[in-house]
Amino acid sequence: MRFLTPLLALACSLKGQTYDTLLKGAHVIDPKNGIDRVMDVAISGGKIARVAAGINSSEAKQTVDVTGLYVTPGLIDIHVHIYMWQEPGGEAVQADAHSFRSGVTTMVDAGSSGSRTFPDFKRRIIDHSKTRVLAFLNIVGAGMGTGKEDDPSEMDAQAAAKTAKDNPDIIVGFKSAHYAGPGWESVGGAVKAGELTGLPVMVDFGRVNATRNINALFLDKLRPGDIYTHCFSGHREELLENGTVNPAMEAGRKRGIIFDIGHGAGSFYWYVAVPAYAAHFYPDSISSDLHINSMNAGMKDMTNIMSKLMSLGSSLQDVVRMSTFNAAKEIRRPLLGNLDVGSDADVAVLRLDRGNFGFVDSAGARKSGNQLLVCELTLRAGKVVWDLNGRASQDWKTFPYQKQSWKR
Amino acid sequence: MEKITTLIFIGATFAFAQTRTYDLLLQGGHVIDAKNNIDAVRDVAIKDGKIAAVAARIDPAQAFKVVNAAGLYVTPGLIDIHVHVYTGTGEPRSYAGDNSLYPDGYTFRVGVTTVADAGCAGWRNFEDFKQRVIDRAKTRVLAFINIVGNGMRGAKYENDLSDMQAKPTAEMAEKYKGLIVGVKTAHYAGPEWTPVEQAVEAGTIANIPVMVDFGENKKERPMSELVTRKLRPGDIYTHCYSGLRNEQDESGHVNPAMFEARKRGVISDVGHGGGSFAWRIAVPALKQGFPPDSISTDIHIGSMNSGMKDMDNLMSKFLVMGQSLKDVVTESTWNPAREIHHEELGNLSVGSIADVAVLRVARGDFGYTDMYGARLKGNQKIIAELTLKDGKVVYDLNGITRPDWTTLPKDYRQSGDAKWDAITPARGGRGQAAKQ
Repeated sequence: MRFLTPLLALACSLKGQTYDTLLKGAHVIDPKNGIDRVMDVAISGGKIARVAAGINSSEAKQTVDVTGLYVTPGLIDIHVHIYMWQEPGGEAVQADAHSFRSGVTTMVDAGSSGSRTFPDFKRRIIDHSKTRVLAFLNIVGAGMGTGKEDDPSEMDAQAAAKTAKDNPDIIVGFKSAHYAGPGWESVGGAVKAGELTGLPVMVDFGRVNATRNINALFLDKLRPGDIYTHCFSGHREELLENGTVNPAMEAGRKRGIIFDIGHGAGSFYWYVAVPAYAAHFYPDSISSDLHINSMNAGMKDMTNIMSKLMSLGSSLQDVVRMSTFNAAKEIRRPLLGNLDVGSDADVAVLRLDRGNFGFVDSAGARKSGNQLLVCELTLRAGKVVWDLNGRASQDWKTFPYQKQSWKR
Repeated sequence: MEKITTLIFIGATFAFAQTRTYDLLLQGGHVIDAKNNIDAVRDVAIKDGKIAAVAARIDPAQAFKVVNAAGLYVTPGLIDIHVHVYTGTGEPRSYAGDNSLYPDGYTFRVGVTTVADAGCAGWRNFEDFKQRVIDRAKTRVLAFINIVGNGMRGAKYENDLSDMQAKPTAEMAEKYKGLIVGVKTAHYAGPEWTPVEQAVEAGTIANIPVMVDFGENKKERPMSELVTRKLRPGDIYTHCYSGLRNEQDESGHVNPAMFEARKRGVISDVGHGGGSFAWRIAVPALKQGFPPDSISTDIHIGSMNSGMKDMDNLMSKFLVMGQSLKDVVTESTWNPAREIHHEELGNLSVGSIADVAVLRVARGDFGYTDMYGARLKGNQKIIAELTLKDGKVVYDLNGITRPDWTTLPKDYRQSGDAKWDAITPARGGRGQAAKQ
């Protein structure tokens, strides 16, 4: 029942032990720093202390053998839904129940809360999560799934901008989502809030029509650095009738529009992703659109989506970049998504399995693949928060068990 | 011409469908069904959410959907009788709040179809729990009701003897007969027997078992007396391998009271959690002939990220300690079903609810950690490939029920059928809904 403090403290703080933890022998992929080879990663005081080949185990209090695995920056998922309302209902899930087990150390809630509900979201969820939680603020003051997402009077750019300015450590941008009206009120409001604060906008483009289409969105309405999520959904003519990628996508990319996966339960189809890859149109960032339905359907989790994109032809290095360094740039958090010395030691240790795997899209259609990423170990600010196979543990036969009494 | 072809096709499909007896056929899997003493390769056919046939060979032409389960194990849907799922209230550091998890987030993906919440709510807040979580979950959620009226909200509440009342607890249990499967007492730190006595009284009135987390170890109320005198046959002692209450004596042997309790019919349940499972207790216990009656997770926001992880990981621990897969499955299906008096679950009898887990036993180098962070290595690991609830697919790890995307029409939007699939026919996704 109760969570007893693991007695992992190997009581050997001998002189000369500079580091708390040493991840030894893994292949490090750190796109920001151009590292893509076997290196050791040393951690001290919750920060990355050194990344180099051949760091001696005697310099660390604890050495974790991660030979044969990949060490990457902690994954950043810029599209999740983790604002569980106090009233019953909704599709949100708990951040900590889904993050660490798939290598994710930073989650960005994608507009579940708006300016009026953000304080409640912050107080009840964000402040209590071990996962680093950031947020896109919904331009709709009431937030997502409240029945007010089509109401232009809810789209108060000033109020959104003020909430963002009051919470610069958490709010990374604004979300426009699910808008079914004919006009540009939702996107316009979000962009205006973005202009008032200098922050990016993420768009779930809702319903399209003859004039409200992605061509206008990318070329006229969004700014460079704004993010188009659900980019392989096919719901908004990302793929033309003739099966080719809409030229608006490439034109948008040239302008600096960001293309994000936002897989979810209904926004990723092989018949869109495969032609996009064939046309060399790849996503900038991988995100899950995690909620209670997507996780049990084709999406599952971040490492599963990364594996999916590898089945399409992305390299391991590509999908790591899309899930770390690129995502961090998009949300303008240069201190995240890399293994710079001095940065918070948010780290994922991944295993690449070979075999016959199946990956399912939003329609339940299957594509086979022969590589699967599995998260072995996750560190958040230098602490082990997930350890699939007990790699940071000691064998029980030699373990210094101490008589423990029941504690709350 | 095209129209005529379509009509003929529809006609043929209709005629063909008429002849199909089953909605779904799991073909060639190794079935483990303790109730029916099956431990062999069998086909399993499902119709209208119920098990329709189990036989060495069932004609695939009789089934609307055929799934190849060769090389996999087909078992009743797993039953986890110790979970914490009363969440969403916004109460921090509370099992009637943030410490609990939404059930659907960790059930189907590990083959679990039924859970029993272990006392997060008492009679005062059970109905809030019901409408907030139980009624909305896709997982089958049952519950032990806490003898504490306020439930598991923290020490202040859980040590309040005045809020432990058998009568209103039993009344609530009888109001929701079948849904409330037992009474829980937990975390009590005082020397009195009151919590246990009140729970047993409530259980006696409502004719349901009691599950005990025995809280702080007190000399005034030793575990040995609890399991050999205070509890009734059928009552459940959870956290049986914690070692926190003399389950193991000083010489490293299973406390004889545990054996005596088992003889009396008192149940020993795992309830791993974040602080209730140690290798130094469990390994000797199994060697000395004391396996668990039921395997349960005690899953909550802490235990799921530490040594416990999930039901499959926990079952794997017993497999690598040397139990047979048949025993481990029995302890996770038919045994817990009987313990909570739900014998329509946990088996594959014809006519039973078609909750099914399809499991793979992976070989490799795996490590499993206990509450202290000590590791035991093993070369087997149980992984859920497919989960059916009420006869329909609710989780499919590798898409073994799914068609290859290249075989579908060019702008396909779904590929399942409501006869067997609960994931895609029901899903439009937000974007799609917005487009339509």
